Amino acid sequence: MKIAQPTRLLRDSGHLLLTVAPGALCIVAFLVLPSLYLMGMAFLSNGPYGLPTLPLSLQAFRELAGFGFLGWSPGNLYTLLRSVWQTLLATVLVILIAYPSAYYIASRPSRYRALLLLAVVVPSWTNQVIRSVGWMNLFAPGTPVSNLAAALGFTAPPMGLFPSQFAVIVGLVYNFLPFMVLPLYAAFERLDFTQIEAAQDLFARPFAVFWHAVLPQTLPGLMAGTVLVAIPAFGMYVVTELLGGGKASMIGNLVARQFAQASNWPLGAAGALIMIVVTLIGLRVLRQLGRRLGGDREVVL
Amino acid sequence: MSGKNLERSLRGFWFALMMFLYAPLAVVVLFSFNSINSSARFAGFSLEWYEKLFANDAIISALVNTLVLAASSSVLAVIIGGLLGYGLYRYRRWRMGWLIWLIYLPVIMPDIVFGIAEMTFFVSLHDLFGLFKPGLSTMIIAHVTFQVPFVALLVNARLLSLDPQLFEACNDLYANPWQRARFFIFPVLWPAVLSSVLLALTLSIDDFVISFFTAGPDSTTLPIYIWSAIKKGVTPEVNAIATLMIGSVFIAALMSLFIHRRSVQKDRT
Amino acid sequence: MHGLFTPDFDLASANQPAADTRRASSIHVENLHRSFGADVALDGISLTVNPGEFFTLLGPSGCGKTTLLRLLAGLDEPDTGRIEMGGAAMAGVPPHQRSVNTVFQSYALFPHRDVRGNIAFGLEMRSWSASRVEGKINEIAGLIGIFDLLDRRVDQLSGGQRQRVALARALVNEPDVLLLDEPLSALDAGLRSRLQVELKRLQRQLGMTFVFVTHDQEEAMVMSDRIAVFNQGRVIQIGTPQEIYEQPHEQFVAQFMGHQNFVPITGRDEFGIDTLLGHFAGQFNPGDLLLLRPEALRLNTSSHESCHSFMANVDECLYRGGLTEYRLISGGLSLVAMAANQGGASYQPGERVEVTVSPSGMATLYH
Repeated sequence: MKIAQPTRLLRDSGHLLLTVAPGALCIVAFLVLPSLYLMGMAFLSNGPYGLPTLPLSLQAFRELAGFGFLGWSPGNLYTLLRSVWQTLLATVLVILIAYPSAYYIASRPSRYRALLLLAVVVPSWTNQVIRSVGWMNLFAPGTPVSNLAAALGFTAPPMGLFPSQFAVIVGLVYNFLPFMVLPLYAAFERLDFTQIEAAQDLFARPFAVFWHAVLPQTLPGLMAGTVLVAIPAFGMYVVTELLGGGKASMIGNLVARQFAQASNWPLGAAGALIMIVVTLIGLRVLRQLGRRLGGDREVVL
Repeated sequence: MSGKNLERSLRGFWFALMMFLYAPLAVVVLFSFNSINSSARFAGFSLEWYEKLFANDAIISALVNTLVLAASSSVLAVIIGGLLGYGLYRYRRWRMGWLIWLIYLPVIMPDIVFGIAEMTFFVSLHDLFGLFKPGLSTMIIAHVTFQVPFVALLVNARLLSLDPQLFEACNDLYANPWQRARFFIFPVLWPAVLSSVLLALTLSIDDFVISFFTAGPDSTTLPIYIWSAIKKGVTPEVNAIATLMIGSVFIAALMSLFIHRRSVQKDRT
Repeated sequence: MHGLFTPDFDLASANQPAADTRRASSIHVENLHRSFGADVALDGISLTVNPGEFFTLLGPSGCGKTTLLRLLAGLDEPDTGRIEMGGAAMAGVPPHQRSVNTVFQSYALFPHRDVRGNIAFGLEMRSWSASRVEGKINEIAGLIGIFDLLDRRVDQLSGGQRQRVALARALVNEPDVLLLDEPLSALDAGLRSRLQVELKRLQRQLGMTFVFVTHDQEEAMVMSDRIAVFNQGRVIQIGTPQEIYEQPHEQFVAQFMGHQNFVPITGRDEFGIDTLLGHFAGQFNPGDLLLLRPEALRLNTSSHESCHSFMANVDECLYRGGLTEYRLISGGLSLVAMAANQGGASYQPGERVEVTVSPSGMATLYH
């Protein structure tokens, strides 16, 4: 068989190359290479003007852990911890909101579902700066929402609800909700409803029904959604900058700052390296999930 | 919780969700028509800010940049991504796991890392070889890089949904590869291509972080303009620009709904 | 195949209803209505199921029998009407508070739990201690014969095995009423007939009230104490299998039970009825069709017990092993007769025969 096919194989390889090469080369040249370059920068020293110079050193990582000129300060670690905490909180809230949303859509007649999904997804098609502007409008001092919060004692009267950690969390949830709703909706569409009825029939109360009959079936969608929410949330820049105003900065802000005012490129690169590592781990998890679901690849739009 | 109670709670929940999702956007639109310069109090209806907008040269040039960037990057991305998606489909039996990795990389990479990596890369290239002065060209390259995966995946998905025997049917009916491409693949793919174009356009217009870091001194786009303006405080002018952008997103959404309806109908026949 | 008996079980008492029937409930349903939009699933259903009875809901698909079952389970609420179990009203009572369990058509086993975990589910929900659960599972596994399956995963089970696990999962909770929604329809014919007999024996042994849904009239006849025939959301007839088969009230019921010999009645007088096959002497109930059971049509036999005979042409002769099926033509009608193959004469297509009808093989019914 193989001996008779060499020209066919050659032709196919050529054809493959023709179709796949431009895209692959593009990504390699303009993402992989720059990323590798950036990661390499993390191992250089901080030179004048913040630009990287030789010699090689791990100084950047030490600085990331907080060891600066004046001894150890916890600021960077706080930022890292805050990134984890805010990501976690936002992800949990997104899950709590996305579940009923996905269930709602899946339980409507099929002709309405495309429209309902669109309704959930469209806000995320707007620019993230604009979305944050919207929340800035709503949370500014003197708006009805802010006044209500002040009346309930959550904030001091002259301050608005932003800039604050609360506003950042709201912004994160707002940004990432569709990325959880879509995979969960896909899982709900395929749900075996008779398992829910069986659980009810076998004396399970509503929460137990969810836990034993719904959750196990929607777990793949939940996992996919978690990765699609948590990973980008961890590296969020715009929302924290605009709605947090420095009070709720995460690792993305820390990195960006090194390339702007603070001028310490290796430190920024070290932070970026951490982010890349986290991203790659997340990507691997997504691929494992995809394989486990039988070659299902969720395309997130 | 009985069935009827559950249904009622769900409907209430959905209503609240819609409020949550659209309140910020609605507020932006509302306050763009505010007659006074405030985001806290709505005093009256006025088109004052829109007039100022269209008279502002900086904004107009930002708009032009945004559109040029979006259009050129989308065209390139659809071509490159379309080929990639087709290649993925055609050779799906070959082991190309590394390619899937590569394709997902831009999708999942945090935009800040993406943007900074591009920036340092282009700056270094510029310093060393004088290539790629930060500006529209670098922005287009960066945008194409993150648009290509989406296009490839969309096209691949559409091709996967076809009956593989259709390709064989073409061959059986004497079509050579070019004819098969022209009379079968392109017509069947065109809704996916259209969706990809729309998607690529929205991705480009929406992008801020990557544009910000790859922009040059005179390649400000609308999102970048808004960002700098916000630093001084949210003004109705900003709201006005934002409203226009929101409007274009809604139009894109309607178009995609329309395309989806059409392709669903076609699949039914 | 393991039997249903625990090791020290007494065969003789297996066929008597269990002495302990206090757990079996009666079911009383009154004037139930349930519609889904424009689709009327149940149109004023009333019936009563006696404690310890094997009651079957029989009908074609879409006739409402599954809807009624779901209302009994509490998985749905009626639009109007009453449901009572054991004398207690069930309105507004959710499924997890009813002493009713269901064997689902698709079994609905939890794939993320093994067999033991599935069976234990209802007991866990009611907070039984682990040791009690263990004991109860072993008991039911012995009863139904699935000991060796207890540690298997659901996807390792065959159709018949899943059916038994679903049965065990429901029975282990000792409900007052067990609902079965076409539990045997996914199984092949041989397995099906064996399980029909096993289920019936089990029900007798436990003395539990069973409500069984099927569209297969033979299955219904084999297993039931009483059958309710459904069509288009209404109960057409309720009775024992014998009553339903031998004395159907309507042509729909007769056809559903497999009957084919319908003879239009053209007139009545004080001696009998006039039909297209001639005059039948005797007392007949009201109705416009005469039903002749195939086994009641005898060919070329002189018998004292006859209220009529007529001539017919043999159209087809189909050998069915123990029986021979004859298609006859007479009076413009096509009739089916069944004759036992006991070494008697057989008739070929084209032959002319005299057909006598035994009186016990007739019924009158409405169109």
